[in-house]
Amino acid sequence: MHFLATSIESLGAKLAGWFTVGYALFAFLGRAALLLLEPSTWNRATFDVVIKQVYFTAVQILPVFLAYVLVISWLIITIILSTARDFGLTEFASEMAIRVLVLELLPFLTALFIALRSGSAINTEVALMQVNNELDALVHCKVPPMQFEFMPRLVGGVVSVVTLAGLAGLLALIVGYLAIYGVGTAGFEPYTRTVSNIINFNIMAGLIAKCALFGLAVTLIPVTAGLETPKKLFMVPVSVLRGMMRVFFAIVTIEVVSLALKYI
Amino acid sequence: MNKLHFKVGLFAVASLLLGGAFLVYLLHARGFFEGTFQLQFAASSADNVAPGIPVAFSGIEIGRVTSLGLNDEGGIIIHARFLQRNAKWLKESSTFTLDKPIVGGAKIRVDTPDLNAPALPDNSTVLLLTSDISSELPALVERVKAILDNVEHLTRKDGEINTTLANVQTVTGRMTGEYGMLESILGSPEKARAVTDSLEQTRALIIKLDGLALKMDGMASKADTWLFAEDGVAAQTRESLAQVRLMLNDAQASLQKADAMMANAVDISANVKEGTQDIAALRAEIDDAVRKANALINEINKKWPFKRDPEVKLP
Repeated sequence: MHFLATSIESLGAKLAGWFTVGYALFAFLGRAALLLLEPSTWNRATFDVVIKQVYFTAVQILPVFLAYVLVISWLIITIILSTARDFGLTEFASEMAIRVLVLELLPFLTALFIALRSGSAINTEVALMQVNNELDALVHCKVPPMQFEFMPRLVGGVVSVVTLAGLAGLLALIVGYLAIYGVGTAGFEPYTRTVSNIINFNIMAGLIAKCALFGLAVTLIPVTAGLETPKKLFMVPVSVLRGMMRVFFAIVTIEVVSLALKYI
Repeated sequence: MNKLHFKVGLFAVASLLLGGAFLVYLLHARGFFEGTFQLQFAASSADNVAPGIPVAFSGIEIGRVTSLGLNDEGGIIIHARFLQRNAKWLKESSTFTLDKPIVGGAKIRVDTPDLNAPALPDNSTVLLLTSDISSELPALVERVKAILDNVEHLTRKDGEINTTLANVQTVTGRMTGEYGMLESILGSPEKARAVTDSLEQTRALIIKLDGLALKMDGMASKADTWLFAEDGVAAQTRESLAQVRLMLNDAQASLQKADAMMANAVDISANVKEGTQDIAALRAEIDDAVRKANALINEINKKWPFKRDPEVKLP
């Protein structure tokens, strides 16, 4: 009986913790969104920070990222094509390849890429700032951290994931065309038909929304996780661990929900 | 110049340009920049038809079903939309068939036998035929069953094919016998032997006729010397001699015929294909020759009074 009571109690505590985290997350998001809508936010300084964030999150990694997309797209398209040929389903191969790569795999991998590279860095940075009382110092100096530290990171994350996933998708479409029809314009008509069959405007809007959510998840969650850090240096790794786990769960949840909405 | 800003700007411009180009491409692909062409199909049933199923011309998709519904009379009306550039494949002579393969989605197939036929007007209503393979399958299975039953009936234990094969075996077995093909045609070694025997007899007859002719020649020369030794007889018998010569000529012709028949007989034994017919003809000609030879000898006996005993005996 006692065991049951304690387990119920621990479950309740966990739920309360999740609720707190979730509430903090959405409250933070709300504040950031409100700030985004305020015209006074968009001054030269904020722009500069946003541009820096986009640079560090997207532009800096572009060559490596595109090479990685090239290799993985080429591999997966080749595998799908040869398997489809073996089973006599060649007519469905291009559609399958585009669906798997452009709509699902590449946005997911992009989000993971940004989360591992930038998300973990943001989490550590915010946690260290919190531990070292830098945030309080900024507020004291009338430099609101929300405007100059957090909101630009969120915008940078969303812009980066959306653009990188878009570029990756375009590259995969080109690689797919080359893998299926080779160099030349002969396959342009059928390929265009396949693309138009797959990508209608709902799908396109869904893809952009999904990428934006991914971008938000890989920046918003690390920021809030960093802000939660107790002011002890040894808590920084714990904070990063928690933040990255939440990011991972968030990415998987977004992907699963988007798949469910699309195909169920 | 700020290098960082330049790079981010370049990134933004490139991304926006690519995104815009892709958007234009997508709009083009979805036919945003050109008109559409509507068609209505009248069908007896809407089975397997759903919005989105493709309309294909020669296997290439040219349009899609957009919606389907019932009209006031309870008929099925299926709406399909085509891009204007694909409308040229739709002619008044086109037929529209709903194909439902066993595996894979249904599609509407367009067959246009004559591409020079007048074009189908926009928004016209055409008939949709169905070629549902799965509904034809039971009939097909029934027919295949019937065929298999027939085959089974033909190949049963005491069936016609077995009997025929047994007969063939008998014939080929006979062919390997003493009289070969002849036996296989005539049915038994006895009958084949009868044919070869009659050929032997014919040969013997011809040899005898040869001998007769020689003797006749000898008698004729004797008669000559005898006749011309004493006057009167020759004059008396000159006419009859002339007749005898004619008769001898006749006999010679008969002998030649018999020779030809002999050659034929040899042919017959070599070429059994015409064997049976030739054997009948041979028999008739031999009979004829024998009868002629008989008549000849009787004539000679009548006209040759000096010797009563005929030297020739016919078989």
